Amino acid sequence: MSALGSLTAVVNWRSWAVFRRNAMVFLRNWRTAVIPPAMEPVIFFVAFGVGFGGFIEDLNYRGTMINYATYVAPGLIAYTGFGTPYYEALYSAYVRMFYQKTWDGILATQVELPSVVWGEILWGAVRGMVNISVVSLVIAIFDLLGLVDVKLGFLLVLPFLGFIAGCAFASFALIFTAIVPAIDHMNYPVFLIGWPVSLVSNTFFPIEPQSPALQALMQVNPVYQLAECARGLLVLGHPGSHLLGLVLSTALFLVPCTLLSVRLTRRRVLGD
Amino acid sequence: MTTAILEARKLTKSYGDRVVVDHLDLSCRRGTVLGLLGPNGAGKTTTLRMLYGFVPPDEGTIYYDGKRFSEHRENAKRMIGVSTQDDSLDYDFTVAQNLFIYASYFRPRVEDLAGRVAELLDRFDLAPYADASPHVLSGGYVRRLLIARSIVHRPSVLFLDEPTTGLDPSARLDVWELIDGMRAEGLAIVLTTHYMDEAERLSDELLVIHEGRNLVHGEPHHVIDSVLGDHVIIVPRAEPAREAIASWLRARGAEQVATVLGELRVPVSKEDLAALTARFGDAVWQVRPPNLDDLFIALARRNGRSG
Repeated sequence: MSALGSLTAVVNWRSWAVFRRNAMVFLRNWRTAVIPPAMEPVIFFVAFGVGFGGFIEDLNYRGTMINYATYVAPGLIAYTGFGTPYYEALYSAYVRMFYQKTWDGILATQVELPSVVWGEILWGAVRGMVNISVVSLVIAIFDLLGLVDVKLGFLLVLPFLGFIAGCAFASFALIFTAIVPAIDHMNYPVFLIGWPVSLVSNTFFPIEPQSPALQALMQVNPVYQLAECARGLLVLGHPGSHLLGLVLSTALFLVPCTLLSVRLTRRRVLGD
Repeated sequence: MTTAILEARKLTKSYGDRVVVDHLDLSCRRGTVLGLLGPNGAGKTTTLRMLYGFVPPDEGTIYYDGKRFSEHRENAKRMIGVSTQDDSLDYDFTVAQNLFIYASYFRPRVEDLAGRVAELLDRFDLAPYADASPHVLSGGYVRRLLIARSIVHRPSVLFLDEPTTGLDPSARLDVWELIDGMRAEGLAIVLTTHYMDEAERLSDELLVIHEGRNLVHGEPHHVIDSVLGDHVIIVPRAEPAREAIASWLRARGAEQVATVLGELRVPVSKEDLAALTARFGDAVWQVRPPNLDDLFIALARRNGRSG
């Protein structure tokens, strides 16, 4: 299949059939699948935003003074929007591919490999939406309690922004899923990429690099763009240039990562 | 004779410098079973993977119902069912749900899917487990479910990759009955197996692959005769003239002199048997018709493998 064919498979019924399969499994186990993972950013929010934030002075965010909890709330949206699809496409997809051989069964049908990859990407992104929704609900409650000060209406937009970026994060993760020899090797993409990117993308603290190269690197980082987009919406009521930045950086990751994932998964699963 | 619903011409596939499948031809007609045989490494799996569409051939053409697979891939994949060697059931779903979810991977959608699932559950004796996880199934029933799943969309061609491996004799016979029933309904079935009795009893035609090439093709008795000849003699370990017999046969051109647990097993022609009887009249040996086990052993020895 051509590169264009691999990319346009996203609109194909086959990709949505794979997505539907994963969604059906999720709906059966939704409590287990949602509550524990979504608690992690909530605990981070309480510990860092409310607890640790009590020791930090207010910050000036693009001319508006905000407390640290308000600063970190959109960061946790980005943290969740990155981590959920990234880990879903690393661990859950690996289990389906390697241990359960679910993909082998699917590929023996009319579903082609790019659709399996797209099904996993779309599912990872939707999982991100679900967890962002939970975190958004918690932020709304904290806003009503007066612990943060955000523009509540924009919380409804964030899951959709998370979906866009989540496609890029899931496609990136699937590269590792296709190449790690065993599940233990997931430690590399988790600890050498996942954690550092989660922490240094304006999620928990602002970074203003002086080097033009580092500045450029930040601009192409979808986690940074998601964090700043969410922060702009929740604090200022507009995303500024970060909405465009989010879309462009997502495209910059999604296209090559999807093509590479398809290629590497083809070699891994089909031996070609 | 009906035309083949599956036909492959000059299939070739290489990995690096190694030619795994080399200009292989095969065909399978409706209502028949084609047994695909060969020792490990002969190229069976790669052949199947090309026929499923998992990997493209480097050369050659595959036709389903007279249409090129490469040009009518979607329709062709709707026509084929695959029961993989590995257990690829979806353990996140129940037995019945496995059939429903698998059917969702095909278009046009399966007509009266609920009725089709109920029919398959009943026919494959899976109805009592319909709402249970496949985890509760025995090996034989897992295989039943894999086969039932592979035909849920009513394919015309079915690939069964080692469908009875690991099953006890009773479960094997049950699977044989199912295969025989599907053949009677008009399915074209491509079967790979390491059980020679299975291949011999189920296959209408055999295709023996050796080093990626078509070694021999035809009805089972034809295949055996053309590779092995008329008889197999078995010289017991205790026979003092055993080595002398082996040397004598080699000198007459016998290439497939095999030793199995100390016994000498050699396919021979009628003429060789007559000459052997004249030369070693006092020796003790058995004579029997050759079977596919002999063929397999001969091929494996030729391939430099133990078996």
